[in-house]
Amino acid sequence: MPITENHVGRTYPPTEPYRVSAAKIAEFAAALGDENPAYAGETPDAPPTFAAVLGAAAWDALFADPELDLSLQRVVHADQTFVWHRALRTGDTVTGVLGIDKVRCRGAMEIVGVTVRLATLDGEPVVDSSSTFVHTRAAS
Amino acid sequence: MSVASVEVGTRIGELTVSLTRAQLVRYAGASTDFNPIHWSDRAATALGLDGVIAHGMLTMGTALRVVTDWVGDPGAVRRYSCRFTRPVVVPDDDDGVEVRCVGTVSAVNEDSVTVTIEVTCAGEKVLGAVTAEVSRGAMP
Repeated sequence: MPITENHVGRTYPPTEPYRVSAAKIAEFAAALGDENPAYAGETPDAPPTFAAVLGAAAWDALFADPELDLSLQRVVHADQTFVWHRALRTGDTVTGVLGIDKVRCRGAMEIVGVTVRLATLDGEPVVDSSSTFVHTRAAS
Repeated sequence: MSVASVEVGTRIGELTVSLTRAQLVRYAGASTDFNPIHWSDRAATALGLDGVIAHGMLTMGTALRVVTDWVGDPGAVRRYSCRFTRPVVVPDDDDGVEVRCVGTVSAVNEDSVTVTIEVTCAGEKVLGAVTAEVSRGAMP
């Protein structure tokens, strides 16, 4: 039985804690070609979309859930929304909890909406990363 | 640009960047997204693409620079969303492909401003419904 609308509301255990470093921020900003001074120095803020890196780490749980039977190779990332509670900063240690928000099944096509809530180990919310995936199920 | 001069329709800035294969490799490493469609023509064409494509999150992250260059403080960004409308094919040459981003104020609220960003490649929209909400406290 693959993913159905009954899976809306399912959440997964938090991802491994990730510690944000100045070196990783510098690497990510350079990859964006972004020279904003906020991303430089000893204790920089992360570029806003760095949250995608941590959010994507939480997607693994979704694709590893045997009950849903989703294949990453058959998925298109259709849209993306970030909502920040505050900037992600050097020294933050965060984990992500993925929840399924929405499931729509249309024949072989499944539209799955998820939100990854990234928070510090103390439980302070930092950023919510919401994504819609379009999954095309292989004919069985 | 002062707070007083910001109104719906105000153009806040524009940015034209060339995305190259070298930058895709750099972004793959920084983001840990090693999907081969972002570095192997063989993998990309096997999925029906015209060649290696840019990471959607690279294009999304690049477009936000129009907003963060304007406000200065990236921590002012509260919300950012888009749809991934059309893949950006990146040729295997030194010049890469040009992506143009133009930001226009689309809403002004008491404590925030919403900017809509038009993101095009060769005149075609590659991202849809690209909107960023920034806190007014950080307005230039």
